[in-house]
Amino acid sequence: MARSPVFRNIGWLWFLASIAVLVVGFRQAIFLVPTESTMGDVQRIFYYHLPHAILGLIFPYVNFLASLSYLFWRRRDPLKALTADALAVASAEVTVLYVGITLASGMIWGKPAWGIWWAWDARLTSELLLWLLYVSYLLVRRFSLSGQTGVLAAIISVFAAIDVPIVFMSIRWWRTQHPAPVFGDGGSLDPSFYPAVLWNLAGWAMWGVFILIFRFALERRRQLNEQEKALKAIEASLEIPQ
Amino acid sequence: MTWHTFLSFGTMGHRHLFFVYAGVWLVQAGYLGWIALNWQKTGRN
Repeated sequence: MARSPVFRNIGWLWFLASIAVLVVGFRQAIFLVPTESTMGDVQRIFYYHLPHAILGLIFPYVNFLASLSYLFWRRRDPLKALTADALAVASAEVTVLYVGITLASGMIWGKPAWGIWWAWDARLTSELLLWLLYVSYLLVRRFSLSGQTGVLAAIISVFAAIDVPIVFMSIRWWRTQHPAPVFGDGGSLDPSFYPAVLWNLAGWAMWGVFILIFRFALERRRQLNEQEKALKAIEASLEIPQ
Repeated sequence: MTWHTFLSFGTMGHRHLFFVYAGVWLVQAGYLGWIALNWQKTGRN
């Protein structure tokens, strides 16, 4: 990210723009949109819960595509494969973050709204499974002693991506404690709530892209440092007099 | 809604609303801080 001042300046501008949009989103969600008639003020949790839920179903596909790229390039061009691997680990972490926030905010909302913290319905269970799959992905990357860790992780990522459409469709396929879709045909969301939803969705998307790129840049920096160390070690071993 | 009602912890609903908004910012900022810290630690050779 800091490879050139241009990248650094764009990064800072993007970060500040994200904060500005999130401040507008916060103001819309807490102070400007009307109070929902059934649940009251606690419904305002929705404006943070929904953006994280939507983005938590998009970042897994970044991980999926990066993992497929890694599998494709690992023998053909290992340097490209390393770049794809860095994007895969960054997107897996951001997925765990966004899906984790979705689960936690949903539970904290569920207690005052439903009277229960958790229900083992299709939406909540498939979302929990998604989170556990990406936690497993990160644990494999962290602790596997196999020389094929990258390949194992990429295969887990492909399986994990299968859960995403199941999470998305769960409230359409099955009757659940979780509410039905609020957007689109038959959606129950009043248009007066749209500004809070859209500003927060834009803000958390911009923030997510920022942390994804920053984490990717960190992983690339680590990889390049390791490559440099390995090269120095090889050079040093060649200099030893026989 | 006003700052006063946002920061009033009189009902479970208001408490949980505050916890979600504060918690989300805390967790997101914490993760960003962890990346920034590791960015500094890793440095460039």
